[in-house]
Amino acid sequence: MTTESTAPDERVPEGPPLGEEKSAPPRLGSARALAWRRRRQSAARFWREYRRHRAGLAGLGLLLLFAAVALTAPWTVGSDVQSVTDAPGRPMEEPSAEFPFGTDQFGRSLFGLVLWGSRVSLLVGLLAAALSVAIGALVGITAGHFKGWYATVIMRVTDWFLVMPALVFAVALATVMERSLLTVIVAIGVTAWPTTARLVRAQTLAVESRPYIERAKALGGGHRHIMSRHVLPNVMPLVLAQTTLGISSAILTEATLAFLGLGDPSLTSWGGLLQDARQAGAVSSGHWWYLVPPGLAIALVALAFTLCGRAVESVLNPRLGVAR
Amino acid sequence: MDRQDPHGTARFLTRLQRRGRGGRLKMLAASGAAAFGLTAALATPLSPAPQQAQAADDGKKTLTVAVAQSVDSLSPFLATRLVSTSVHRLMYEYLTNYDPKDNHAIPGLATDWKPSPDKLTWTYTIRSNSKWSDGKKVTAEDAAWTFNKMMTDDGAATANGSFVGNFEKVTAPSATELVIKLKKPQATMAALDVPIVPKHEWESVEDFSKFNNDKKFPIVGNGPYVVTDYKADSYVRLKPNKSFWRGAPKFDELVFKYYKDGDAAVAALKKGEVSFVQGLTPAQAAALEGQSDIKVNDAPGRRFYSIATNPGARSKDGEKFGNGHPSLLDQKVRKALFLGVDRKTIVDKVFQGHAVEGKGYIPPRFTSYYWEPSDSQEWAYDPKAAGRLLDEAGYKKNGDGKRVGKDGKPLNYRMLCHATDPNDAAVGKYLKEWWGELGIGLKLNCLDNVTDPWLAGEYDLAFDGWSVNPDPDFVLSIHTCDALPATPKDTGATDNFICDKKYDQLYAKQLAEYDEAKRATLVKQMESRLYDTGYMSVMAYPNAVEAYRTDQIKSITTMPEKAGNIYGQDGYWSWWSATPADSDDSSGSSSSTGVVIGIVAAVVVLGAAGAFFAVRRRSTAEDRE
Repeated sequence: MTTESTAPDERVPEGPPLGEEKSAPPRLGSARALAWRRRRQSAARFWREYRRHRAGLAGLGLLLLFAAVALTAPWTVGSDVQSVTDAPGRPMEEPSAEFPFGTDQFGRSLFGLVLWGSRVSLLVGLLAAALSVAIGALVGITAGHFKGWYATVIMRVTDWFLVMPALVFAVALATVMERSLLTVIVAIGVTAWPTTARLVRAQTLAVESRPYIERAKALGGGHRHIMSRHVLPNVMPLVLAQTTLGISSAILTEATLAFLGLGDPSLTSWGGLLQDARQAGAVSSGHWWYLVPPGLAIALVALAFTLCGRAVESVLNPRLGVAR
Repeated sequence: MDRQDPHGTARFLTRLQRRGRGGRLKMLAASGAAAFGLTAALATPLSPAPQQAQAADDGKKTLTVAVAQSVDSLSPFLATRLVSTSVHRLMYEYLTNYDPKDNHAIPGLATDWKPSPDKLTWTYTIRSNSKWSDGKKVTAEDAAWTFNKMMTDDGAATANGSFVGNFEKVTAPSATELVIKLKKPQATMAALDVPIVPKHEWESVEDFSKFNNDKKFPIVGNGPYVVTDYKADSYVRLKPNKSFWRGAPKFDELVFKYYKDGDAAVAALKKGEVSFVQGLTPAQAAALEGQSDIKVNDAPGRRFYSIATNPGARSKDGEKFGNGHPSLLDQKVRKALFLGVDRKTIVDKVFQGHAVEGKGYIPPRFTSYYWEPSDSQEWAYDPKAAGRLLDEAGYKKNGDGKRVGKDGKPLNYRMLCHATDPNDAAVGKYLKEWWGELGIGLKLNCLDNVTDPWLAGEYDLAFDGWSVNPDPDFVLSIHTCDALPATPKDTGATDNFICDKKYDQLYAKQLAEYDEAKRATLVKQMESRLYDTGYMSVMAYPNAVEAYRTDQIKSITTMPEKAGNIYGQDGYWSWWSATPADSDDSSGSSSSTGVVIGIVAAVVVLGAAGAFFAVRRRSTAEDRE
């Protein structure tokens, strides 16, 4: 089957839904400039809509904060914070002015470790969500486009993945593969895609039933053209919202896997910190400062992504915002 | 789908999306709650519910021991793990036992033993008051059969083959007389740590290398306890042997319960679900120290904890296998690695003082065999010298600060680590940094099951540790060429494929030496030789850090009696001697800090959830009707 869907080629000047874009004013500049102008306009429109969601704004603010922390970590705390041989404190110190979150069993500053851990957690969250949504979009679009036996087979496969407990599957994958960051990303990515696939397929079916698709076909548009130029741009909003929402569950899964000891032990991540705390016996010995900061950080990032995702979803999907 | 009716389709789609959204929302809410819950649960070590595990039903007194190791086999011919050999001590009587006070050999199944003048024929008198749990009498024939089986069947020699390698003939002239004829003198004749099994039960076993003795319960034995039930990675259940000749144990039941997670075991101890926990982390020991009804026992351990290098795995037939790093065949490289390890820091930081710095092979607790290198012989922490050695060995630093061999490949090692032992991962972090500064890469490979890659020789370095018996023969034997597997497919008794001629000669000599002082000298020479070969480096002798509930166990024998350990003794003393406490008072020993933290966590969770829903409510205010 020659249905490899290409990446969304946004530089193509022609706008996706032909029918709706007919009214664009046919004046000044090349088609390219026109497209860019339209894009700027829709971005501004999107932002105007988004601003009205207060929860979405709060989530975005939180996200920007975490992103800033993660990106600046090499300069603010530095990778030396992970060093056990140069650890500044004594083991398991309580929070103090010098160590705001206390120290871990090696005497390292937990504050620095939590900041540093945001890098792995966010990276895994983003990449795993992107991977799962990419798989889901590919499966969903092809299944919606090629009906018949291909769709039947691929949707049964999707159903099979859907009913399988994702965590168990991810644990199994992480066990048989080498312990590395890539393994965790792949393990999350290949288990979290079925929901996206189902949603994208439904949207694809709806889009393909519109008359302009038939027109495109009559004009000689092939499978590839239809899927990449007409269907993909139309399911993009859904995919985008799905990605944002998927990140938070990917971060949670990453933390779970690391907590279960299936992550790369040499990397500092929030889930890994919880695992270290458990192994050091922090739970039964009441060293709460070892557990609460990474736990809260996981919860907050997941919450932020969820809030953003919901806001994006309701902006992009007019049907959800009708009442406003 | 009908193209004629776009509206219908759209409506259908909306419904479908709503459903999808609902599902996602629920999932996210659930996972968010799980994250909060995780934090809360972790911060709440125990519920204050008082537990009276003992007096649950008909006043049966159960002694529950939390263990972290899973049983490798219940067959005494195969088992080598500490948990399994501890259970075997309880199931089967050995010929001799060790005195709990000072470790000297005392009567077990044999009441008396004496050598012939040429020291080649040993005659044991088997006691007549020992019975198998099925009622049959224990005779010398059982012992003779056990030894003969190990001598003739390689499968039966897997675990304890080192004891019978030198036996020529074992006979039982009468029911109370066992005669062992030796090829050469053997010093371990009063310390044959071999469980004697009932011949009438074991005769029908066909393949000893496969039979795990875990199908038929209760398992017939003659020790202080009888195994009544076993579930892999779950529990071993034993009941006292009422007719045990030394006297029946006082508890009504003994359970070894498997806890994969140390914190769970400690929480169970606090709640009273288990009576005894071993292998505590420093933080756990410190936290348990102040609790009422709990006694923490911190005793010098009988284990060594070391780094083992793969010296090129091979079998007795000379075939090489596995994929150990070739650079480790160079003694200079191994020496450099060990010179880069600061053992004192490991004891101070990882064990936080609950260990003694490693020197020789046998822990200092066994004073007569303890050996430590002289200052000139010792490979003390010296990163500079390590760097020089690596330069000499031909591994120079490249531009990135990595050591590269002549083939241009950087030096990167894989290290096997036990996922069940937190110390491995912790020490691994230090090794990674120390060796990283030398320019050597390290990748920790933490597995639940390290046995498979280990036996296959597929490792470069590994964390290694053995419990040492009062008679060190066994831990010495696992480094002889004789312990190598017969073929790459077989399982040998070898620890990590060490085979050294000089060491083997010394081993044979000490085994034949009956004079204790002379034998000790030979053993020390062996340790010295082992040290110099540099195939393994002992980092520490970890203490046995354990705790038990004093409201469940009134008294228990440690071994040695002064400052001794309870779990993993050389004998059955602890579990045999344990006396139950009167279970009249209920334990109200919940930690108040735990409760406070629990309440705080609950408030935080509720507050966060409340805020979240308030925000949600407001944002959907217009949506609601």
